[in-house]
Amino acid sequence: MESLITAAARALEAGDPLGALNRIALRNDAPSLALRGIAMAQLGDLAKAKTLLRSAARAFGPREAVARARCVVAEAEIALVSRDLNWPMKALAAARATLEKHGDLANAAHAGHIEARRLLLLGRPDEAERTLAELGALILPPASQVVRELVVAGIAIRRLRTKEARAALGRAAGAAHLARIPALAAEVESASLVLDTPAARLIARGKERPLLLGEVEALAASKALVVDTFHYSVRNGGIFVSLGTRPVLFALARHLAQSWPADVSREALIAAAFRARHADESHRARLRVEMGRLRAKLKPLADVTATKQGFALTPHKTRDVLVLARPIEEKHAGILALLSDGEPWSSSALALALDTSARTVQRALDELARSSKVQFFGHGRARRWMTPPVPGFPTGLLLPAPLLKT
Amino acid sequence: MKRSAAEIVREYGPFAGIEAVHGVTYDGKHVWFASGDKLNALDPADGKIARSIDVAAHAGTAFDGRHLFQIAEDRIQKIDAATGKVLGTIPSPGAGGDSGLAWAEGSLWVGQYRERKIHQVDPETGKILRTIESKRFVTGVTWVDGELWHGTWENEESDVRRIDPETGKVLEQLDLPAGTGVSGLESDGGDQFFCGGGGRGNVRAIRRPRRS
Repeated sequence: MESLITAAARALEAGDPLGALNRIALRNDAPSLALRGIAMAQLGDLAKAKTLLRSAARAFGPREAVARARCVVAEAEIALVSRDLNWPMKALAAARATLEKHGDLANAAHAGHIEARRLLLLGRPDEAERTLAELGALILPPASQVVRELVVAGIAIRRLRTKEARAALGRAAGAAHLARIPALAAEVESASLVLDTPAARLIARGKERPLLLGEVEALAASKALVVDTFHYSVRNGGIFVSLGTRPVLFALARHLAQSWPADVSREALIAAAFRARHADESHRARLRVEMGRLRAKLKPLADVTATKQGFALTPHKTRDVLVLARPIEEKHAGILALLSDGEPWSSSALALALDTSARTVQRALDELARSSKVQFFGHGRARRWMTPPVPGFPTGLLLPAPLLKT
Repeated sequence: MKRSAAEIVREYGPFAGIEAVHGVTYDGKHVWFASGDKLNALDPADGKIARSIDVAAHAGTAFDGRHLFQIAEDRIQKIDAATGKVLGTIPSPGAGGDSGLAWAEGSLWVGQYRERKIHQVDPETGKILRTIESKRFVTGVTWVDGELWHGTWENEESDVRRIDPETGKVLEQLDLPAGTGVSGLESDGGDQFFCGGGGRGNVRAIRRPRRS
């Protein structure tokens, strides 16, 4: 390849984007545009990076299909990191096919990893796993191996398989060491933290304690009746009752479970389920109706009995009732959980990932912004939301090394 | 124009710690090749690297009988082959868009990759004496027996071609297998060429067609 391009690419691979820019800042030929785009991405100017990569893809001639496809892959990765989840995945799939056809298997795999990471962010681990399986067991350069293992770990974590996750993160750490890219090692480390940070709270008999992911996993095998606030469900052994579409019933079940084996007063249940401060006769009537519905739903698992004060739960097959709750109970915990990855999200991407309407997300974001729990930058469609930044949080942009091989 | 498939005689490498080959030359005993931050002397008889010089080496390489010439960024370095010392530099004609390099008839010949050009350059001053237009992206350049040959590389398709130095017309073309790249080209003075394999990090010897 050309002399300055080689020099700039080597600087980028060595983690010196300014050194790369120094060499090619004033050049507008296709490879220079592509390298400038990657350098800008590494420096954090993702908007500029995207524009440059798009110009580069246009500037490469019709005979340079591989170079053009690499630009598309880089642009897709930038879109992923900026949580622009609406980015056209068809273009990425086409680029992946081109790279495969021309034998650039490392970059084709990189494209597949980006697809899998996006699916994982959208909460579709099965599809993410299928995408990884399509790639097969290629021997990849260390940087790509890190990404692959991070996706494997992400899938395992979402499925509550901590042993698998730990093994994948161990392999990722080894590959990151070989790749000698500090940002990658940091990303693996922060992903590993997930396993050692409380992932949930356990509430039983009026007491609560934090749970690690591994303990949550162990809970799946427990004999207790579990009210699960992550999945809005009540389960015991193999029996599973989903209350995802019945928020009032779920709130009632949860409060009964939290106080178990004691009962809960009607006033407390009305306050919890209907958000009413003063219970009147119509509330009491409604509570009776809802309790009837809950009783029907929980029939395979437990009885709901009336007491003098209110109501109590009597499980059928177990002597234990547990509530599995989020570590921090926030009204908008779902949004905060997504934003806790430290990346800027668009409200439409949040809506896509939470499978809810953009309006609902917007209202929640405005509310969170008023209490300074989230912040935004940009205007209109370009507006992005994030939690106040954690120092040293890695950008998660892994594109440089595999992209530059000629 | 005569066109045929290139006959690959031997492959050298890939070599440990070398990611890519950017330029190739031959000093009569060793094949020198550029690998980013090193110039490496490969013994074509045993396929081993005999010695290396620590010097920026981003594109074409040439040898004038005493000195090695090596493109780095936007300049051409003149290197004492015995000591590895950089004796001087001249600006490269493509201002960094340069790729192949050859020495012949007292001049340096420099490929300018995307511009599809070959420049004849004064090795003392860097002045461009004349420019030959090619049809394809130029990677390696070499002269042998009064013939000007250069490598091309566009999107995983490469060939080695002989062109008319006056008109740039293609006289003969040797196609490399699909998926191989040519980065750097040098004749051994006989019936072989050495070609750099780009990102594969290898060097290939291919047969030069015999004159009848």
